[in-house]
Amino acid sequence: MLCKNSLGDKFGSNSEKFFYSKRDVESNLAHVQKVKTLGVFTRALRNVSRRKIRVLLVVFALSLSMAILVSIPAGIMANQEAAEELKANYESYLGDIEEEIEQAYTLLEVTYISGGFLGGGGSFPEGDGSFPEGGGGFPGGGGGRRPGFFRGENFLNESLVLEIEVLEGADAVIPFFEKTEGTNQTITTPFGMSVEMLVPDYTIVGVVLDNEIINYYNVLPNTILEGRNLEDGDTGVVLLSLNSTDYFGAGVGDQVDILGNTFTVVGIYDETDILGLNRVYMSLSEAQAITDIEGQITSIDVYAADESIINQLALEISALDENITISTYETRLSGIELRAEMAEENLELAEATLSQTQALAYQEIGIAVVATCLIVLFTMLYTVRERTQEIGVLKAIGFSNGNIMSQFMLEGIIISAIAGLVGVAIGTIAAPILSTALLQPVTGNSIPETSFAGRQVNIPGLSLSATAAIPSVELLLLAFIGAVFLGALGTLYPAWRASRTSPMEALRHE
Amino acid sequence: MSDLALKTEKLDKFFKLGKREVRALSDVNLEIKKGDFVSIMGPSGSGKTTLLNVLGCLDKPTHGTVYLDGINVTEVPEKALYKTRKHKVGFVFQTFNLMPWLNAVENVELPMEGTKKSKEEIQKRARELLKMVGLSQRVEHRPHKLSAGEQQRVAIARALANNPAIVLADEPTGNLDAKTKYEIVRLLGKLNTDQGTTIIMVTHDRQVGSRASRMLFLNDGRLLKKERKGSHFMQLTCSHCGKEIRADDTFCAGCGKKL
Repeated sequence: MLCKNSLGDKFGSNSEKFFYSKRDVESNLAHVQKVKTLGVFTRALRNVSRRKIRVLLVVFALSLSMAILVSIPAGIMANQEAAEELKANYESYLGDIEEEIEQAYTLLEVTYISGGFLGGGGSFPEGDGSFPEGGGGFPGGGGGRRPGFFRGENFLNESLVLEIEVLEGADAVIPFFEKTEGTNQTITTPFGMSVEMLVPDYTIVGVVLDNEIINYYNVLPNTILEGRNLEDGDTGVVLLSLNSTDYFGAGVGDQVDILGNTFTVVGIYDETDILGLNRVYMSLSEAQAITDIEGQITSIDVYAADESIINQLALEISALDENITISTYETRLSGIELRAEMAEENLELAEATLSQTQALAYQEIGIAVVATCLIVLFTMLYTVRERTQEIGVLKAIGFSNGNIMSQFMLEGIIISAIAGLVGVAIGTIAAPILSTALLQPVTGNSIPETSFAGRQVNIPGLSLSATAAIPSVELLLLAFIGAVFLGALGTLYPAWRASRTSPMEALRHE
Repeated sequence: MSDLALKTEKLDKFFKLGKREVRALSDVNLEIKKGDFVSIMGPSGSGKTTLLNVLGCLDKPTHGTVYLDGINVTEVPEKALYKTRKHKVGFVFQTFNLMPWLNAVENVELPMEGTKKSKEEIQKRARELLKMVGLSQRVEHRPHKLSAGEQQRVAIARALANNPAIVLADEPTGNLDAKTKYEIVRLLGKLNTDQGTTIIMVTHDRQVGSRASRMLFLNDGRLLKKERKGSHFMQLTCSHCGKEIRADDTFCAGCGKKL
């Protein structure tokens, strides 16, 4: 069809040559640098990039929304995780105590009236040491003597054991000795006050090493990891808790120096005590001897022959010494109930905070989602309006409704995807800050046992202090997909409107 | 029907203006043969653009039929009309309507998108067309880097991209100066004579209209009975003093002003 112009040119010879032979064109094209044909995606990218300021503003607004969308769920997840952990810990805590109580139905615990870390007296028996450490639980559980904080500072006369033994119905009378050794250190409080405190190094636990006791009553730890347990008649030997091996720098068979005396380590047991105290088990008499507290003990466990005489026996024991406090199954049970109640309250508080936080978070997420959609919607509506004439031209040159719609959808999605990426990046960095700002952190009150000497002792798992929101990869991916989806959702109507524009009216649009 | 590029029968087009009905086209019967270069002339508001829109499948007539390359396009559903526009019609607008963010060759490639042509074919065809309209050296220039005349040439190349049955030009010289106007009309004339492209050009410029082989007149939406043969000749005149000028003149010989 192409042929060299043969028509007579009436307008001068220097006018441009308009038509060329096909060969001319082909030979010339061979020298022209190839230009890639534009695809829909490239065109959409160009459209996005030609309105840089607008796109930047939209990306900024959207990415903030996306960062919120990343941070809040991360915060919620962290809170939920923390609350779950709290609940699980409380449950296992209460379960342990209940188990303990059941196993020691006939047990009467005798301690010095101000002994124990609470010093609350008979009406509040927790202080006497029924605190449930996992491994060192008494007489069941992990086994071994139950611990107390610095119990060794208050002592009972060992003669009390003999006095109780003669009472009717006292089946077994088992004395215990505990003494915590440590160093005095000066601690400066956040308010600038200096307090001198005893920082415990290890706790010496003295147990009667008699087969009649150690075989029938669980007074020694039963979680031996290495070596052997203490046995009847052992002298000059100790059983170390796993965590104390670091302190002493010794293993099974090694010699350790305790208060200037040399002992051989015969075994190591798994100390899962959440207080993390280093314990050293030895015979009662040696414990008394090396601490220079002869004839003194810290507590006595009395097993009644029958549950019907427990109360009677308790009365008789308490009549022996005015300085002792006795906890029975009932008092321990009521203590447990009190603790359970407190734990429940604490849980409820945490759960209430959590649900309140979640409700607020859902509102915030809802606002962010709606804001994201609206930002995209209005931006794209404005863009469609601005490009009405262009839509008309595209339709005039043969673009279908689908072509136009996909063009605008793609542009909206590209903007949202960029915003999603930026948002995810911001979210990753700022999630801990944003979630703290947007969510109320879930904290449970520490239970009373964690209070000591006027300061709060944080026992892992029994209190919550912070909401550490770190978004997971799945969450980030989900947020990115969410951004693209919300972008697509916001673009749907403008794109549809663009596709339905009458080409004639669009061409007339100024 | 085979030698007809376009035929209309009893074409009516009404618009509603509030409660009033405005008749834009009335009983338009038109036959345009393949290879015709027809100019439709008439005063403003005579219905020229409405007719062009109906012929170009941008608008549906209220009554009547339009046959485009043998197809009754009035029966083609609205959703499928884009195919007719893509393959049968090429549009040239007064304001060029090029995509500002695309360069010349990309603008020409645009209508070929989604056709069966390969990328290489599309690219080759676009470059051929640009060469044909005298823009071989400007293929990668964006519209704002091109003169008005060059932009209109790109638009003409774009209109020819899919080798349409008709090219509809709506006041193609309306935004051009006298010299460029001449070049564009001449280009359209050459396309018609050399390539056999069927062109329907709407204009109110008598000089431009006379360049076509047939001149039709529209008044109040009615096609007048009178029809003239065009001269394929257009005399350029100075816009300041009206004196005849040559295409390569820079200054008017009559008033001395710059053209």
